Amino acid sequence: MAHTWISMYQPPNIDPTQAAIAYGCRALPKLNEELQSEDLLTRQKALMALCDLMHDPEHIYVAIGTGCLESLRVLLKDTNPLVRIKATEVLSIMAAHNVGRQGFLEHDIIAALSFLLNDSQIACRMNTHLAFKHLAQLPSGALGIVNSGLIPSLVLQLHTEHESIQEILLDTLASCLLEDANEALASRAVPFLKEMLLSHNNNIRTKAAATLTAVSIPLEGKRQVWQYDVIPILVHLLRDLVEEVQANAAGALMYATVTTEGKYAALDAEAIRPLLNLLSSGLTKARLNAIKALTMLAEAPEGRKFLQAHVPIFRSLELDHSEAVRRAAQVAIKVIEWKP
Amino acid sequence: MSTYTYTFTSRPRVLPCQRRRYRDSLVQPAEEPTPYANIMYDRRVIRGNTYAVYQEPPRGQLSDTDVQRHRRTQKRALSKKRTQEQLRPWTPEPVEGRKHVDVQTELYLEEIADRVIEVDMECQTDAFLDRPPTPLFIPAKTGRDVATEILEGELFDFDLEVRPMLEVLVGKTIEQALLEVMEEEELANLRAGQNAYEELRNVELAEVQRLEEQEKRHRQEKERRKQQQWEVVHKHKQTAEKIAARAFAVRYLSDLLPSVFGSLRDGGYFFDPIERDIELGFLPWLMKEVEKTVEHGIVGRTVLDMLIREVVERRLTMYERKDGKLPPVKPKGRPSGPAARRNPPMGHEFQDQRPLPNPDPLRRTDTVSSRERMLREEEDELTELRSSSRSGAWEA
Repeated sequence: MAHTWISMYQPPNIDPTQAAIAYGCRALPKLNEELQSEDLLTRQKALMALCDLMHDPEHIYVAIGTGCLESLRVLLKDTNPLVRIKATEVLSIMAAHNVGRQGFLEHDIIAALSFLLNDSQIACRMNTHLAFKHLAQLPSGALGIVNSGLIPSLVLQLHTEHESIQEILLDTLASCLLEDANEALASRAVPFLKEMLLSHNNNIRTKAAATLTAVSIPLEGKRQVWQYDVIPILVHLLRDLVEEVQANAAGALMYATVTTEGKYAALDAEAIRPLLNLLSSGLTKARLNAIKALTMLAEAPEGRKFLQAHVPIFRSLELDHSEAVRRAAQVAIKVIEWKP
Repeated sequence: MSTYTYTFTSRPRVLPCQRRRYRDSLVQPAEEPTPYANIMYDRRVIRGNTYAVYQEPPRGQLSDTDVQRHRRTQKRALSKKRTQEQLRPWTPEPVEGRKHVDVQTELYLEEIADRVIEVDMECQTDAFLDRPPTPLFIPAKTGRDVATEILEGELFDFDLEVRPMLEVLVGKTIEQALLEVMEEEELANLRAGQNAYEELRNVELAEVQRLEEQEKRHRQEKERRKQQQWEVVHKHKQTAEKIAARAFAVRYLSDLLPSVFGSLRDGGYFFDPIERDIELGFLPWLMKEVEKTVEHGIVGRTVLDMLIREVVERRLTMYERKDGKLPPVKPKGRPSGPAARRNPPMGHEFQDQRPLPNPDPLRRTDTVSSRERMLREEEDELTELRSSSRSGAWEA
């Protein structure tokens, strides 16, 4: 019965969409049991509660300890879409923390998540890709993704997926390619990336250029980049309006021009002028990458001849406030002024 | 030995009734609840004055006298009942010729018949109708109506009351949101740090690769140069060797030609044709001829030897015959005969032969003629010898 007094005790927080969270250390075991219940409503409410709890890393550790991952793995195959969406959301939150990532690798969640790559719900797919992206930040996680043979299907999905998911996919692929690029190169990643370089979305162009940077680190990647004539497109992107795109394109060029054929392809595409323009850019990354790319080009005699006239610019860069830029400028000057 | 008196106690319990309620059924239901007797009507319970009451004989100890007495009382009761029945008055028996009939004397006569009037009646239920919906049950109003008037602001102040609730709701939501935002911020910071590190790493990696490439190129260039240089040196060496070999060969072969010519000349490959012809053609023929001639001479001498021998032997035998076993006068003649005979013919032959070895083709005919003469002589001797051999034997 309502009193006219104002109570000093806070009223209870009852959120009808969430399961009640038990006190203290009983919270997660009880939620784990509720996850395994037969009743759909109980499971959904438990999942909502779990989502909120998983933002705290300590809870993630306890959750993995009590075996929530096994229940989540079973729930990934559930027929109800809300259950799947929430389960993938929980997994993506867990993957953002290192404890969660370690748990993923131990309990082999990657295989279970891979079945959801073709799910009908876009939210579900997005969460799955987010989980993969976070997992790929860890080197052993990226290795796990590569070892489970997911790269070819991910590369194929680059084409077919929605744009927002494509961005996440590109990030995932960039991290995985740093580990092992053979599978991706074998599944024709470079042509796909080449098309994405010309997309209208700024983010996609940025991330595609970043992925190309990762692709051209191994020798096979460099060869493929030259083979598929990506270098002229990269040179074209150096004049892009978005600075990030310019920086990433310069990075990709930096790696692609290590080989002799790459160097001459870049020189043919008139890469030196835009790179010189980039030297005065605001982003440190852009300046660094441009200096490095010019250093590569200066190894070739034609490039050296052309750049000898522009040595003063490099001298001014030696006084830059970033240590890395200073060092890179010194190396560049040394290479340009080298006599055989 | 126990000294206490015997006592027996039991809990009070309701006694079951022995009376059977129903007839004996074929199957005795054992699960019927046991009926309990009413103690008010139980014969075993003594009511009222218990002084000199009839005591039922204890069970199992019924004596004969008791039994007889029991039976007698029963019989007496029965006979009493019968006599009472007999004393009851009823209507006398009808006189002869009369019959008693029951007659109705009521006002209204009733037909009394054995046959019961039967009427067939039928009854049929109506067709079932749908059950009508139950009417709303509105319970009767009970109690008394009481009303309270609440004016504005009397009961509770909504704004004040709602504040804690709102605080909790908003507080929890913001707490959760803050947590998530902080997490994202942390992640973004981590990501920014990672990006910075990634840039540096990329740059370093590119530098490493460039240096590697440079190193490779330089090494390749060095290899190529070295290869070229080696080839040049090799060629140089080969040329020098060739020159040296050529010089040596020239020098070696310089006196080859004279020596060759000399050895050829020594080998007789250069010849004067006439000389050669003479040597090849003429001289062998000459030697053959000489040989022939010499042979002839030898043959002739041999034949002569034989002739002389034969002659001497014949002369000997002749002389021996003539002498007629004379002591051998000429013993030394015989052993030394052939030797002596040989020598002079040798000298003879020499004399004869001396003119022969003159290699003068003009003298050939002379030798031929002399030889012919000898041959003729020889033939004569041979025929003589044959005839002598036939007649006499050799004593040589």
